Amino acid sequence: MAQSSTISYQLLANRQFVWRIVDFIVGGIFIYAGTIKVIDPVQFAIDIDNYKILPWTISVGLAFYLPWLEILCGLALILRRLYFGGLSILTALVAVFLVATIAAKVRGLDITCGCFGHASKSLSFAGHLALDFALLAALIVLWSKAPVRNHAANEL
Amino acid sequence: MVKSSLVRQALVLAALAFVPGLVQAIYFGDKVSWRSPVPASEMVTVTQARAWGENAIWVDARPDNEFARDHVPGALPLNEDRWNELLAQFLAAWSPEKKVVIYCGSEGCNASREVARRLRKEAQLPNVFVLEGGWEEWLKTNR
Repeated sequence: MAQSSTISYQLLANRQFVWRIVDFIVGGIFIYAGTIKVIDPVQFAIDIDNYKILPWTISVGLAFYLPWLEILCGLALILRRLYFGGLSILTALVAVFLVATIAAKVRGLDITCGCFGHASKSLSFAGHLALDFALLAALIVLWSKAPVRNHAANEL
Repeated sequence: MVKSSLVRQALVLAALAFVPGLVQAIYFGDKVSWRSPVPASEMVTVTQARAWGENAIWVDARPDNEFARDHVPGALPLNEDRWNELLAQFLAAWSPEKKVVIYCGSEGCNASREVARRLRKEAQLPNVFVLEGGWEEWLKTNR
């Protein structure tokens, strides 16, 4: 009995370790994506403006704000502080971005930039969609696998 | 997981992101125009560009088929689809005293801004301007 509970505990610990690695990978991706956009906010403003959804002034404001939000949320995933807040914001951002990208394509706009700003310029539309859906899937999986009773993740 | 805790965490992160964003916006204050994607100093009207006469070199940033259909008389094509090939042709016609006037379909299109950006950054050209209103404005003025 004691041995089986030890084995169960070990399996659980291994699984949690795997999900922590996923936290690091997903968090790291968003930190990288945010950093690229922080370096050239003017280009990111142009990329947002290309979607022809928002006025230019709002595009500029978002270009200065969103990359830092991505970086902080990525850190939240890695450091397990404000974890669920970060996870919810990132999930919302990716979902909104996916809808905007598909809408732009339907409207015939040539959107060549994705999550990584101009750095992902060489990716095709299908490539962008695949990457975005993969990120969304990873975030949804983290939602389902995150330890709800983990006090560190829930604390401010 | 309490919903209010999730909302509180999200609000804290959203609020924290304002600080570096605001600092960066202040730092970049003079490098970006909040009113227009192209600073006023880099825009030119049809009237102004025509007044430059022979000193202006017109550049059409639209796709090849649109250029072939109609374009500003004397304009050179330069689009992102055939950038390297067309750039060589453009540079052969350019000289430092010329003012480059770039246009695409309309005010809302991005091609002319992108071509202007690349000419300034990659080819290091001075006196590069985007035509206000683009090809549509040219047509209105010349009907």
